[in-house]
Amino acid sequence: MDVFGSFALLLAFVCAAYAVVGGIAAIITRHPLLVKSARQAGMATCGLIFLATFSLEYLFFTDNFSISYVVSHSNRDLPTFYKIAALWSGMEGSLLFWSFLLAIYVLSVLIAYRNKNGELMPYVGVVMAGVQLFFLTLNNFVESPFKALAAPGAGGVMSFIARADGNGLNPLLQYPEMVIHPPNLYSGYTGFTIPFAFALGALLARYPGEKWIHLTRKWAMIAWMFQSMGILLGAHWAYAVLGWGGYWGWDPVENASLLPWLTGTAFLHSVMMQEKRGMMKVWNVWLVFCTFLLCMLGTFLTRSGVVSSVHAFAQSNIGPWFVAFMGITLAVCLGAYLKNRDYLASENQLDSVISRESSFLFNNLLFLVACIAVLSGTLFPVFSEWFTGNRISVGAPYFNRVNIPVGLLILFLTGVGPLLAWRKTSRESLKRNFGWPLFTGFAAGAVAFIFGFRPPYALASLILCVFVAATISLEFYRGAKVIRARSGASFAACAIDLTMRNTRRYGGYIIHIGMVFVFIGLAGTAFNRDVQKTVQVGDSMQIGPYTLVLQGADTKPERNYTAQRLLVEVLRGNKPMMMLFPEKRNFITNKENGTMVAIYSTLKEDLYVVFAGIDPDTQIPVIHAYLNPLVKWIWFGGVTVVFGTLIALLPNRRSVLVLAPAPQPAVQPLPHAVAASRILREGHD
Amino acid sequence: MTRRRTLIATFVLLGLAMLPLIVPVGAQQLSDRAKKIGSQLKCMCGSCSMTAAGCSHPGGEFSGPCPTAKGMLQEVDQHSAKGETDEQIMQAFVQEYGTTVYAEPPKSGFSLVAWAMPTVYLVLGALVVIFVISRWVKKSALEPAGSTATAKAISPELLERAKKLAERETED
Repeated sequence: MDVFGSFALLLAFVCAAYAVVGGIAAIITRHPLLVKSARQAGMATCGLIFLATFSLEYLFFTDNFSISYVVSHSNRDLPTFYKIAALWSGMEGSLLFWSFLLAIYVLSVLIAYRNKNGELMPYVGVVMAGVQLFFLTLNNFVESPFKALAAPGAGGVMSFIARADGNGLNPLLQYPEMVIHPPNLYSGYTGFTIPFAFALGALLARYPGEKWIHLTRKWAMIAWMFQSMGILLGAHWAYAVLGWGGYWGWDPVENASLLPWLTGTAFLHSVMMQEKRGMMKVWNVWLVFCTFLLCMLGTFLTRSGVVSSVHAFAQSNIGPWFVAFMGITLAVCLGAYLKNRDYLASENQLDSVISRESSFLFNNLLFLVACIAVLSGTLFPVFSEWFTGNRISVGAPYFNRVNIPVGLLILFLTGVGPLLAWRKTSRESLKRNFGWPLFTGFAAGAVAFIFGFRPPYALASLILCVFVAATISLEFYRGAKVIRARSGASFAACAIDLTMRNTRRYGGYIIHIGMVFVFIGLAGTAFNRDVQKTVQVGDSMQIGPYTLVLQGADTKPERNYTAQRLLVEVLRGNKPMMMLFPEKRNFITNKENGTMVAIYSTLKEDLYVVFAGIDPDTQIPVIHAYLNPLVKWIWFGGVTVVFGTLIALLPNRRSVLVLAPAPQPAVQPLPHAVAASRILREGHD
Repeated sequence: MTRRRTLIATFVLLGLAMLPLIVPVGAQQLSDRAKKIGSQLKCMCGSCSMTAAGCSHPGGEFSGPCPTAKGMLQEVDQHSAKGETDEQIMQAFVQEYGTTVYAEPPKSGFSLVAWAMPTVYLVLGALVVIFVISRWVKKSALEPAGSTATAKAISPELLERAKKLAERETED
């Protein structure tokens, strides 16, 4: 099967190369057969990548320890569930997984538009195949996952060998979320290839109008949704597994995942300027280019070791390949832009400073500032070493200080933007729209202040969260009220109807609400507390209102690891509440350790209990307990964001035919009992 | 009487000073100052990128502060016992480990660039946005005012164009 997989990868490389060369030839000659063959080569590339990926998974499932990658990342006792995750647990497999996910996107695009947009698709096909070709080069010639295990035999001749068992999977990855976090994040990274291919393709083809924007909008939203889910699942994994009480450490690899998310978010907003007003065409194209390049940069940072990171499980010497690819991509983008920039001539006009357009410009500015600040902070250790010879670390405290104010400004605009009208907002409209939300926000802030919610950033965040929630609620209320006046249905039904009539707008509002929840959760960080204590059976420790009593400890042998478990009773006041079982796991094969945190989570706070292990000095168990307020809001916000995105991806319900009893005139009754009245879409989209 | 009190106080202080040598390291409670300064120092164990005060050493046999982080925090307490200021303590660590020991760039020398950059981006960006907005507003004001035309003067082509524009601006 390893030969089969290896061969499939090689054939995929050949097909991708043909899809690029044949595609370019098809663009030049416009020969229909060439166009068709290039497209089919693109589809074959995808099919072959699928085969190669399934081959590698098969090797994991059949415990084929003659393959180096399988030996390094699996063992016989590894549960089947984690054998799936073993695919992306190392460099070679994760790069193949990249190709696999990209192939799903590429195949979907090639099938979805096989008979559409004939002028544009050859260009898009070439760009997509070009990206695939780069990754297939790595898969085949740099980091092949199908390398057979070899050792010097008699006379020093290398011969193939097979091991009895493998080294096992990194314990940190043996957690259910690790089976879904990387696929989500990678789906985000790879997904931005599609808007990139359409943007570059449209620029190269001088494709008329805003159609490429319409075509790519949904793909960009899908990629963005996966990227958001990937980031949040990664944060949740860090929270539940690493046992440090936090969820975001501003590690370079975490930062790398945030960068394309920030520019992608900016794009999803600024694209509306182009769709509605024909503005910012150059900006949008470059935002898509930058988002794609940042995806590449993120992958490069994760794997090259250029910046030190805790995500050290997938590093090698592939950095120069990524640098070269990013250089070539940038050159192609720049060349295409310089050659065809007149195609991007925009109708840049503003009727008023106070308008939705202005808010989008500031929105984009803030996302870009956040992105560049995170990027420059991440790379600052490298820069400082170049310029001064000393490597200066940039850790979490710096990123928090720099990004919290920018984040709050973005939150402010989240509330302001939707209330401003396109073109011009009158003073009366400002008063009408902002008065009530502002009052609500400040009133909530005053109440919170009285109840001890004092840290300035947390307080500002709370005020803004309430303000944004109020503005969005007002939007739903007003829209639903209009429908209710016509249909007489319940308010909830009207709000759902309103949402389904304009899924993008109201789905967007739901996403904003999700972000409000996330900010509420982040504000809770200001009140985090923790206590660490050596405890023996019967000892207790206090954190906030909770008393933790160590009732005992046991050992739980499992197939792949042995867990040392503490039995911790939680009391509130003197009232027993529950038992928590924090674990320390020792993995048998690779002798590595893992933590399983016990969390009692409510909307108000998380009681987070870690069995830190046996103190090496005292040989007594150590419990590290944290009280983290409002954390659950972050995960709840993440779910809301995904829900909102799914709503926004749905097609609009264009119009509704309502059969309503016709008004009965007093003098001349109509001959019909009912009359059809067509309720059209609201005009305020 | 006063001399006796002074003697007792001296013994108590000496006893307190000896405490770190008697009490095992693990059971020792770190001072708030060690935690405060430790949060500005990077744990130098080489396998985690956490602060010395926040080190939980994921994947370690003991996920408390690792021996390196513990040692650093004890060192803070030792410097503290000598009466050194926060700045002096930080400098002692820089002498020992180099500038990589900072959890965040110091606000001096080349590191100031790191602190200045985000503000510079924001200010420059805001200036550019303000410039762009004012330019686009002016451009709009200079445009021939179609709005002043009377209803009679609107050609069918212009009306069609306006309809398309309205459709685009109100569609989602």
